[in-house]
Amino acid sequence: MNPPLVELALLVFVVGCALGAALLRDTLAAVMAFAAYSLGVSVLWLMLQAPDVGLTEAAVGAGIMTILFLLALANTVTPDPDRLLESVNLRTVLLVGGFVAVMAATVPALPAIGDPSSPVVGGEVTQYYLENAYEQTDVENSVTAVLAAYRGFDTLGEAVVVFAAGVVALSVLRREVFA
Amino acid sequence: MSFDDRPGLYVESTIIMTTVRVVAPFVLTFALFIMFHGADTPGGGFQGGVIAGSVVMMLAFAYGIESTRQWVDVRVVAALASGGVLVFTSIGLGAMLLGGQFLQYTEYEFLNSHASKYGIELVELGIGGIVAAVAIGLFFVLAAGFGHAVDEEGDA
Repeated sequence: MNPPLVELALLVFVVGCALGAALLRDTLAAVMAFAAYSLGVSVLWLMLQAPDVGLTEAAVGAGIMTILFLLALANTVTPDPDRLLESVNLRTVLLVGGFVAVMAATVPALPAIGDPSSPVVGGEVTQYYLENAYEQTDVENSVTAVLAAYRGFDTLGEAVVVFAAGVVALSVLRREVFA
Repeated sequence: MSFDDRPGLYVESTIIMTTVRVVAPFVLTFALFIMFHGADTPGGGFQGGVIAGSVVMMLAFAYGIESTRQWVDVRVVAALASGGVLVFTSIGLGAMLLGGQFLQYTEYEFLNSHASKYGIELVELGIGGIVAAVAIGLFFVLAAGFGHAVDEEGDA
């Protein structure tokens, strides 16, 4: 089974960016590599036919996090790095390499993309949502139906977490107003 | 080299200012589209909110963070964030008051036959408000630097 060239190139790009973010000594360069990584991953989500997740990854991961990281960097003093790459500890490499090997060993067990017999597609819960979401909630995007209707209480919690993050940032920095 | 010695981040570039002036309305429209239309197409409050928040960051990029900070009203940011939570919870609790369960949109059907659809879109708008306001707020808080917090601690 040969993966298409585009996907292979994207995979190389994403892994390269991740390595760059981990190894580059200059924090600014690491932040840029991290943003590029997020952008690559958001395209991967699109290829896996999860446009909702892809949009979030592009907007939050590649967009707003990069701006916030850059602003935080602008508030610090960056020393001139004496060398380009971080020095790598052999034990760390072994540990991380072992972890990656274990994770990679699970990849062949995953069903192929779009496999009709995969548990996600064939599962009882998924089928219930796909069959009833439009009738019960009146919205065509079943992701939104699950998010706002079937699991609305969860989503309220998520939204309040975002709100709490803002409040906590203010109280940690001892401010009373945002702007 | 201390922080104060460094030149400011803001460059008054005509190209950037003109580009932002042209692009910003479209980005805001796109953000609202993602938020409103999230019920039928990919998207929703979380994504649209971030994009709406990034409009303010674009303005700050073009016109300087300080002048954008003066232009954006503090109360609007706070009202958006807390108003979003309020909209979400009041829709949920309102359904309970009408005798249903939390966020049971069908209870509102006496108002509109598509109550479920509009309820979900309203909830998405609430989420969008929270996310946009917190993104803008964190941006301004980070841009102001952390000096104030340290100073106050030293004085106390």
